[in-house]
Amino acid sequence: MLLKRIVALEGEWVEFRDGKLLINGKELDEPYIRYPCNWNLSPRQVEVNCVYVIGDNRNMPMENHYFGQTPIRRIVGVPLW
Amino acid sequence: MVKVRSLLIALMVMGIGIWAFIHFSQSEEKKVRKQFDLLSEWASKAQSETPLVMAQKIKKIGTLFAENCVLNVPLYSTSGSFTREEIISYAARGRLLFSELYLKFYDLTVTFPEEGTAKVSSTARLTGKLNIGENVDEIHELECVLKKIEKRWFFSHLEVVEVLKK
Repeated sequence: MLLKRIVALEGEWVEFRDGKLLINGKELDEPYIRYPCNWNLSPRQVEVNCVYVIGDNRNMPMENHYFGQTPIRRIVGVPLW
Repeated sequence: MVKVRSLLIALMVMGIGIWAFIHFSQSEEKKVRKQFDLLSEWASKAQSETPLVMAQKIKKIGTLFAENCVLNVPLYSTSGSFTREEIISYAARGRLLFSELYLKFYDLTVTFPEEGTAKVSSTARLTGKLNIGENVDEIHELECVLKKIEKRWFFSHLEVVEVLKK
C-alpha cells in the first residue's frame, strides 16, 4: 500500500519543470515540500477515471520515486491526521 | 416427534457441511499463503549466505512453481511461459546480482474462482543491496494464479500490475 498526495484529477495536465509542479500549465503552490527537487517531466493528461499522485518526499532522482497516474478504484482510504 | 427429530438431524447435517466448507477452504487459503511465505524466505538472501545455502534455496524456489509458469514482468522485459528449470536459472542469476536481498509480500487477498485454482493479489516489496553497492527498494503489485496439483499449490501465473503510470 502506498501513501501519496493527489495532485491532479482526470482531464488535467501534469508537468514538472525544474522541480516545480505545474497543473494545467500553472505552478502549484506546494508548502508541504521540504526539500526541493529538479525533476523535469513533459506534460501529460490524466485519463478518465484516474488521478495523478505524487509523494511529498522528492529529494531523490525522479526515476526512483513512485508516482504517476492511477485508477480511482485503486484508492482504498485517506490518512487520519 | 419424528418430524422434529428429522428436522434436527437435517440442521445438524447442514451445520456440519457449512463447518466443513469453511474449515477446508480456510486451510486451503493457509496453504496458498504458505507458498508466498516460502517464496519470500527462499528468494531472500542474507549478506552472510554461504554457497551451500544459496544452492539449497535456489533448488527449493523451483519446487514452488508449476512445470510451466507464465511470467509477465514488463519492468524486467520478462514475458512468456517459462519452464521450472528456466525460472530456477533466472532466480539464480537474479540473486547473484545482490549482496543482500529481501522479498516480502503484503496485503494478500486469496480467492478461489474454481476448484484447484487460487487467485492472489498482493503487494511485493523487494529491498536489498546490489553488488555494485546500490540500494534497491522496489514495491510492486502482483497478480498470481496458483494451481493445485496432487494436493500441493504451485505458482502458474505471475504478473506485475502497473499501479502508477508516469
